[in-house]
Amino acid sequence: MSLLEFARGPAIHASLILLVGGILLRLLGVLLLTRGADLSRPRDAFGNFKGYRTVFSRAWPSDEFTTATRYQTAVAYAFHLATLAVVIGIVPHIEFITSLTGLSWPGLPNWIGVALGTIALASLIALILRRLGKPAVYNSTVEDFITWVIVALPLITGLMAFAHVGPRYETMLALHILSAALLFAYFPFSKLMHAFWFIFSRAQSGLAYAHKGVRI
Amino acid sequence: MSAQAAPTGVFPTFEQVFQGLAGQIGMLREMAPRPTLSDETRLARAVDTLIEETNADEAVWLESCIHCGQCTTACHYFQATGDAKYAPMRKMNLYRRVYQREISPMRWWFRLVTRPVKLKDFEEAQELVYDSCSECGRCTMVCPMGIDTASLVHHMRSAMVAAELVPPELAALREEQKRQGTVFGSSPEALRKMVDTIRDQYGIDIPLDKDKAEVMVLSSAVDLVANGNGLLATARVMNHVGVDWTICSDGFESANFGLLSGDMSLWKQQVDPIIAAAQRIGAKTLVIAECGHAYPALRWNPMVRSGSLPFEMMYMSEFLGRQAKAGRLRLRPLEGKVTYHDPCKTGRRGGAFDEPRSVLKAMNADFVELPANREYNWCCGGGAGIFLLERATRLRDESFKIKIREVNETGADSVVVSCASCRLNFEAGRQKNHWDKRVDSLVELVADHLIEGPETGAAKAGGAAA
Repeated sequence: MSLLEFARGPAIHASLILLVGGILLRLLGVLLLTRGADLSRPRDAFGNFKGYRTVFSRAWPSDEFTTATRYQTAVAYAFHLATLAVVIGIVPHIEFITSLTGLSWPGLPNWIGVALGTIALASLIALILRRLGKPAVYNSTVEDFITWVIVALPLITGLMAFAHVGPRYETMLALHILSAALLFAYFPFSKLMHAFWFIFSRAQSGLAYAHKGVRI
Repeated sequence: MSAQAAPTGVFPTFEQVFQGLAGQIGMLREMAPRPTLSDETRLARAVDTLIEETNADEAVWLESCIHCGQCTTACHYFQATGDAKYAPMRKMNLYRRVYQREISPMRWWFRLVTRPVKLKDFEEAQELVYDSCSECGRCTMVCPMGIDTASLVHHMRSAMVAAELVPPELAALREEQKRQGTVFGSSPEALRKMVDTIRDQYGIDIPLDKDKAEVMVLSSAVDLVANGNGLLATARVMNHVGVDWTICSDGFESANFGLLSGDMSLWKQQVDPIIAAAQRIGAKTLVIAECGHAYPALRWNPMVRSGSLPFEMMYMSEFLGRQAKAGRLRLRPLEGKVTYHDPCKTGRRGGAFDEPRSVLKAMNADFVELPANREYNWCCGGGAGIFLLERATRLRDESFKIKIREVNETGADSVVVSCASCRLNFEAGRQKNHWDKRVDSLVELVADHLIEGPETGAAKAGGAAA
């Protein structure tokens, strides 16, 4: 079995099992915990539901914090949107998803894929430079840096494979798939789980404050 | 009963109140109880407390932090010092480690990759969850995940109680309240004396211990042992609007050092007699004195099924606001430009925003909002018991400079607060910085601007309830 066959076969399949199983374990293990009851009378009998809007409203910082958070917000959006577009938008990825699920959709032209991948990598670098430049603000842990490396690797190897830079194409492609497998396997153990938590976390706080008649 | 006839100088000015209290607070440190349990027991109790208090809400918040650093822009202690350890996200690091190792569905993994928790970790966290977090909730307003750090800090304070790691001043007051139900040497006897003084010196009646009353009013230790003007103002306002009111000597204390220290059982122990008294006298309304944390201690107490209680709980500023909106307060116009400081516990974490502003409007005040106001108001730096901690003096002083800057920016001559703790902290900041602003309590301001006369509710017997 060649490295590429290993990457395309057992490596990526095992990592996907870890990804799905791990996410389910972590989500259910937390969400099935009991909920503490707040017995106090709400300010407005039917007002608590308004708290759910925090799930959406918190997608952008309020005016009060715009100046302080502008860089972080803009760069983080660039990173997330570009990465998502690359993951589900370029032809080789769609072919891989089709092989697993049978689903398919039209892919982006190559030059857009490269542009998006470059934007994703550039914004990821911009974020780590800021993290390194302001240690007091970010309070970084080892996990923050490990996570950064594990997220950066598929982007770097993917761009290198596409551009035929570095080792021969098959090796580069295998490294790219292996780095993606590492990301999948690592995901449920890490802060990358925020991809799910943000919905619940925002909703909980929105509800708790709406209970008191406060819109956050 | 007119303000003009009242003698002046019976009670100390608030400046003197502050200086007197500052002296008393110094003594608290020596009265603080020492740890009695072994280190192992203290650690085990702290960890058990966190395990017990962790529900899905807490777990999700602990899971959600991505160390994006945005909370630092919202925290007055971080902004004032720039010190990494005061970043709000760090205040839950220890809690998260306990959670990851003991509760998380991935605990088998986290036990491999995280260090075991030691008592020393809790000792180090003490400064983070007491001195440098007033549980003001401002960081929740900016957090992209919406994490409610203040709630998590409150659970950490509960763990600190279990680990006998409450800072000395709060520990001493917690002990005093646990034994006697009151603090600062206040007592039902002190209440009676104060009521007598106010009747004798000012001719103002405070109906104490009526069998039945529509409105039950709370006081606080600060008013009873130091700031008599607070209770005096409350009485003048209550009599002015003509409500059927009383103070109960078996449930008058607003201050709750159970909530402040993190002692849930003391929190409940303090609240139960108040609720029992209100039910006994058939109250329709319970008015909580201007004591910020007393509002969540009662109104938002998660352990009290207040929806099924026969009375409504409201903060003094809410009561005043409703009276003002209903036209029951006849007020002289307020001179000079004023701004209003929303106490964290009644504002962002309480929701009483409109009522105090209605009161100022009823006084035709030249009112101007702070640059960051309502949900976004900066904490004064003295909340959640921090005003009492000597060790936190630098943090308070530095963070108060944000408040000075904010108030100065409005161009107001005075700032109105509706919380004894905020007021004390403002007073400390005012004196230390030779600040030229006036700091007023809302209820005292209202009392000083009442127009007394035969056509007011004061002349009527009974009158409408709140």
